[in-house]
Amino acid sequence: MSLSPAELARYHRHLVLDEIGVAGQQKLKIARVLVVGAGGLGSPAALYLAAAGIGTLGIVDCDRVEVSNLQRQVLFGTGDVARLKVEAARERLESLNPQIAVVAHAVELRAANVRAVLGDYDLVLDGTDQLSTRYLVNDACVIFGKPLVAAAIHRFEGQAMTYVPGRGPCYRCLFPEAPDGVVPNCAQAGVLGVLPGVLGAIQATEAIKLILGIGEPLIGRLLTYDALDMRFNEFPIERRRDCAVCGDRPTITEPQDSEESCGTASMETVRRLTAPDLKNLLDHATSAGALLLVDVREPREFNTGHLERAINIPINELARRLGEIPREASAVFICRSGGRSLAACAMAMRAGIREPAHLEGGLLAWASEVDPTLAIASVG
Amino acid sequence: MAAANCTVRIASPLRSYTAGASSVTADGATLHEILANLDRRFPGIRFRMIDEQDRIRPHMRLFVNTSEARALSESVRAGDTVHVICALSGG
Repeated sequence: MSLSPAELARYHRHLVLDEIGVAGQQKLKIARVLVVGAGGLGSPAALYLAAAGIGTLGIVDCDRVEVSNLQRQVLFGTGDVARLKVEAARERLESLNPQIAVVAHAVELRAANVRAVLGDYDLVLDGTDQLSTRYLVNDACVIFGKPLVAAAIHRFEGQAMTYVPGRGPCYRCLFPEAPDGVVPNCAQAGVLGVLPGVLGAIQATEAIKLILGIGEPLIGRLLTYDALDMRFNEFPIERRRDCAVCGDRPTITEPQDSEESCGTASMETVRRLTAPDLKNLLDHATSAGALLLVDVREPREFNTGHLERAINIPINELARRLGEIPREASAVFICRSGGRSLAACAMAMRAGIREPAHLEGGLLAWASEVDPTLAIASVG
Repeated sequence: MAAANCTVRIASPLRSYTAGASSVTADGATLHEILANLDRRFPGIRFRMIDEQDRIRPHMRLFVNTSEARALSESVRAGDTVHVICALSGG
């Protein structure tokens, strides 16, 4: 595919690079790249890919522009608030470079549509803000054999890694499973506006390198960036032979939906009480009903030893028994070491119980710091 | 082995435990000791990385300098940096 005079002029600075030249620019022109998520990462990535002359650029997002997006999502202007992100993005990207085609996918990526959406593209950039989508995109790229440049951000920190089929680890090799209901997103945790600019530009760089076949991609290397310390680090990551999707005996052979684990509940917003904190609260509680201790261990564990006035609702019964917790009560969830109680907090928050708390370190911490006479059953 | 003084770089989602500090020091000759030391000063932080069976959680990775630590028994020397890496979800 030849370059027009207008393209020769536009991409002059690429053309004079030996590593790109006319042949490389032609590769960019016929490339088809999909950006999943038109957010903080997707914005700079899409802008740079469009400017670089990626011939077909797809954007997936079902959200509308909100005013709070504008602090970092540089694809959009104030006048775009309330518009569909993909529509505003297409307009902006086509204005930046009328010589490319921008395809808007105003859909939520799910197992049912991921094959159709990804199918036409050579390479995928993941800039989603949901872990469930992050795993779905990874699994789909592995199964469909497409390169993936993934990045993620939190407050002042970011990560990026590139997956190329047959050449290294995938995102599930890096983190085999998502945490249980506990990862805050940008809305909850906050994010430095310029942070995704750095990571999104890295994603665009990786995509362009892969298309051109130049340089050394971030395959098997996790790149981390700390904006406060202004520090980059990289860590070697190996492909896991037992990876559920790219391992020797994969158990995930078709893309599948998973429940979004972060939702609106997060560890950041759960009140964490140390054992002395809880002791203090109990000592000063004005009425017995004000503070409700909910022990979420199994009855066998509960019967071995528990805190005075605690009620027992095992974690696997909690979803259907949340009604037993009065809305006006201040609920403190308790378990052996603090894991199940944290999951209970997430469930309680999703059910509308305000400000649930949990005992950090569980009854093991209580026995260690407050009451060594408490008998604690072992697990299992 | 004598206790070591090493640097622990804390993943962003766990910095609520360290009053926002991105880097703290900890004493210990093994990762197990380092994390125990850390947990005494920042209660609850260990449980975010390590499960009840002493396994590193699947959304966490621990590195001693640039070598991945796969078990808490791995030794840590004075001057080492332990990196705590956590899955991030923001985009």
